Amino acid sequence: MANRIQKAVPLMMILPGLLLAITIIGYPIIDLAWTSMQDVSRFGKLTGFNGGANYAEVFADPLFWGSLWRTGIWTVAVVGGTLVISMPVAMILNDDFYGRGLARVIIMLPWAISLTMTAVVWRWALNGRAGLLNATLMNAGIIDQPIEWLATANTAFVVEILVGILVSIPFTTTILLGGLSSMPQDAYEAAVVDGASGWDQFRHITLPLMKPFINIAIVLNVIYVFNSLPIIWVMTEGGPANGTDILVTYLYKLAFRFGQLGKAAAISLVMFLVLLAFTMLYVALVSRNDRDDAAPEEEVDA
Amino acid sequence: MSSVTIRGVTKRYGALPVLHGIDLEIRDREFVVLVGPSGCGKSTLLRMIAGLETISSGDILIGDRVVNDVPAKARDIAMVFQNYALYPHMSVYENMSFSLRLKRTAKDVIDRKVREAADILNLSKFLDRSPRQLSGGQRQRVAMGRALVRDAQVFLFDEPLSNLDAKLRVVMRTEIKALHQRLQTTSVYVTHDQIEAMTMADRIVVMNAGRIEQIGTPLELYDTPANLFVADFIGSPSMNFLLGTLEQGAVTLADGSRLPVAAAPQVAAGRKVVFGIRPEHLALSDDDNGLAAEVEVVEPTGANIQVYAKVAGMPLCAVFNERHDFRPGQVIRLTWSPRQAHLFDEASGQRM
Amino acid sequence: MTSKLTRSLIYWAILSPLVVVILFPFGVMFVTAVRPREELFVYPPTWGFTEFRWENFSEMWVKTNFGGALLNSLYVSIAATAVALLLSIPAAYAMSRYRFAGKGAYRTFLLMTQMMSPIVLVLGLFRLMMALGLVNDLNSLVLTYAAFNMAFTIWMLQSYFNSIPRDLEEAAWMDGASHLTSLVRIFLPLAVPAVVVTAIFTFINSWNEFVLALTMMRSSEDFTLPVQIYAQVAGRYQVEWHHVMAATVLATVPVAIVFSWLQRYLIRGMALGAVK
Ligand SMILES: Nc1ncnc2c1ncn2[C@@H]1O[C@H](COP(=O)(O)OP(=O)(O)OP(=O)(O)O)[C@@H](O)[C@H]1O
Ligand SMILES: [Mg+2]
Repeated sequence: MANRIQKAVPLMMILPGLLLAITIIGYPIIDLAWTSMQDVSRFGKLTGFNGGANYAEVFADPLFWGSLWRTGIWTVAVVGGTLVISMPVAMILNDDFYGRGLARVIIMLPWAISLTMTAVVWRWALNGRAGLLNATLMNAGIIDQPIEWLATANTAFVVEILVGILVSIPFTTTILLGGLSSMPQDAYEAAVVDGASGWDQFRHITLPLMKPFINIAIVLNVIYVFNSLPIIWVMTEGGPANGTDILVTYLYKLAFRFGQLGKAAAISLVMFLVLLAFTMLYVALVSRNDRDDAAPEEEVDA
Repeated sequence: MSSVTIRGVTKRYGALPVLHGIDLEIRDREFVVLVGPSGCGKSTLLRMIAGLETISSGDILIGDRVVNDVPAKARDIAMVFQNYALYPHMSVYENMSFSLRLKRTAKDVIDRKVREAADILNLSKFLDRSPRQLSGGQRQRVAMGRALVRDAQVFLFDEPLSNLDAKLRVVMRTEIKALHQRLQTTSVYVTHDQIEAMTMADRIVVMNAGRIEQIGTPLELYDTPANLFVADFIGSPSMNFLLGTLEQGAVTLADGSRLPVAAAPQVAAGRKVVFGIRPEHLALSDDDNGLAAEVEVVEPTGANIQVYAKVAGMPLCAVFNERHDFRPGQVIRLTWSPRQAHLFDEASGQRM
Repeated sequence: MTSKLTRSLIYWAILSPLVVVILFPFGVMFVTAVRPREELFVYPPTWGFTEFRWENFSEMWVKTNFGGALLNSLYVSIAATAVALLLSIPAAYAMSRYRFAGKGAYRTFLLMTQMMSPIVLVLGLFRLMMALGLVNDLNSLVLTYAAFNMAFTIWMLQSYFNSIPRDLEEAAWMDGASHLTSLVRIFLPLAVPAVVVTAIFTFINSWNEFVLALTMMRSSEDFTLPVQIYAQVAGRYQVEWHHVMAATVLATVPVAIVFSWLQRYLIRGMALGAVK
């Protein structure tokens, strides 16, 4: 009897949070799945089951395919660029040098600031007429005419990718730093004794040992970037002429501008499934080096 | 103060059995040491007495009361943890007075008790410090002090000295023993160090793989170990074991050497036995009749010399208090008093 | 071996382009926030300006209803943090101290929710809040922020709780404390640093959130700061950039300072906790 109560204690402790998460995160998924198979009026009334009509509409929509394509480019470019920059940055920040504390603070700074604000500032800095980026480049003599950075889809998309990289660096560097700081120092000392050059050490010790951290940085970044709305939304709203739309911006427009709720729900569900695949990958990666740290309390039920 | 009775206690973690039926009677005022190799279940047993682990079957009694379902806080037992478990956010004084404050003891009583305990433990100067600011030995004493102020029925110690350096360990060992002589609180002390066990215990419980191998006073265990495990575990360097066959009042080794034993037990001749003799009971023979041993390594410790040698292909250690100048390869002759030899059945490992 | 000085110079040289790009928007923000309105659109564009117009800040405060948005943001962030912690502390304690049936599944569930982003669920969430009558109610944000942050807070707290030795609580029980007493007098005081750090990160996350606030808050007096600032920019012919930048400065600088002070905890706690 007393034992039964004791067994219920941990469950009681997780239950309230679990209920909230199920309501806020679980319920909408089911609702989206349901909605995506219905005719929906502009005002959100479900007017009848229509089978896969919403999905058919989505898959016949060239804007969907365009957005999907750009989502791919956006994700790969931002995650790839972030990783290429973050690895050396993390290695530098892990080493001992004058001003390391300051360097760490500066590199982490973009993380503290909401993506919305960053994007607003960049939108202004990139302003064709009065933007200070143009001012800087003209002063430096790199360009002699102001450039309308956000007026054409191609330059706008490139600029957005660069901003995307900039804001992803702190998080990625943090994960890599965590990995580097847990690296066994004696392995390097042994390597030096064995005559390994700096590059050898990087290739044969750092990279292999960092692999789990790099993997997790990639997967987490893919998930975050794939889902990231504010940068593109604030800077161009997916324009001009849908030229910078990715799935999330397109989805948001469909749902909250054009009132095409069925179609938007269908896209949400497609995205959810993609995300689920990445999440599974992530869970697999994490649980591979996850142990049950809890000190044992009760005998496990068979 | 109180006795502790353990009756047929077992412990399983899921399907994994860790203790297989422990029976043990700890008398009032006794200082009992649980000793055994790592992982044999000493801590588990101690924590079951404390009420920190559930009991899978059997009974634990404190005094006459079955405490199987009594929570730790109500058992009136004090415990000293291996890592001391001092509350880091409290001063030494607060650490020691915590239990009394929980019981809403009067302030002046608390103060008197804490100061008394601090006095006994030489902690009076440190009462305002936080545990962080203490050395290992001082922390250890605070942990003791926390137990001391309680006037608990039973003291439990789980390897309280294992985090101290060798010298301090010897000092604290003596202090704990002196403390027990003064307070006479029933104590159960866990260690894997047989010297600690020998020097501190009224009685020792030797455990192995979740079972009790033998219970007895230190000298009983030393003089008449019940089986090979206890014989091997108690004493340092360990007892020598020579494999042979029992024939007419002597054990014959593979190379034909004959080892005399006192009263040969009544068993069929030709029985496989293990002959045991402690290194400190071996002496150099004055003639050529002793057991021939070929010296391999000589280790002087200052107080004595330890000689590692081979007899009929089996390793053997001897300790001499006089200084000798042996060289590796030299053959020495050893004797002993047959009363100090031990005989074990090879098949069962039990004393014969 | 190179000396620490040369190494430092080389490292700073390598980092400098990145440092410049990171600091550039801050420069833009400050320079725009304090320049006179007439000097916003000059040709050719320039960093220079004639005078510091500190009144921009007070003007902006009134014109953009900054105070209202600030209060909304504060309310939402504080309440969301409180709810998230209130639910996470027991959950993290259970994860750290007990074994129980379904623990592995719960852990996986947490990881999954951590990965779910509000944007994918935004339509479903909106419909949920409609059904609950919480659209245009700041409490809808409180609930969603708390829910979306909980995986992170539980995770952070649990990894810290694991580092609080279990025998401290056991010692307290031996000293005669009940589970509740040992929790309140021994465990929680030791957990305070972790709780504070976790709370601040949750606060910052909520403070910065955009998509849900944009979606759930349809009327301007309910806007949180990011939405309010966005609203000054989006779909307007005439953007008062000096006000926008002044607002951005006020909304970001305090948070950035707190964050800079805390980032080392993040490196230690989260990165290690996340990967281990
Ligand atoms: N929670 C648990 N779940 C499963 N097995 C456990 C658990 N706790 C202890 N054990 C096992 O029980 C056995 C006894 O453990 P115990 O801690 O009592 O050993 P010990 O004799 O105190 O060893 P040491 O000298 O190393 O402290 C060990 O084999 C251990 O692996
Ligand atoms: Mg132990």
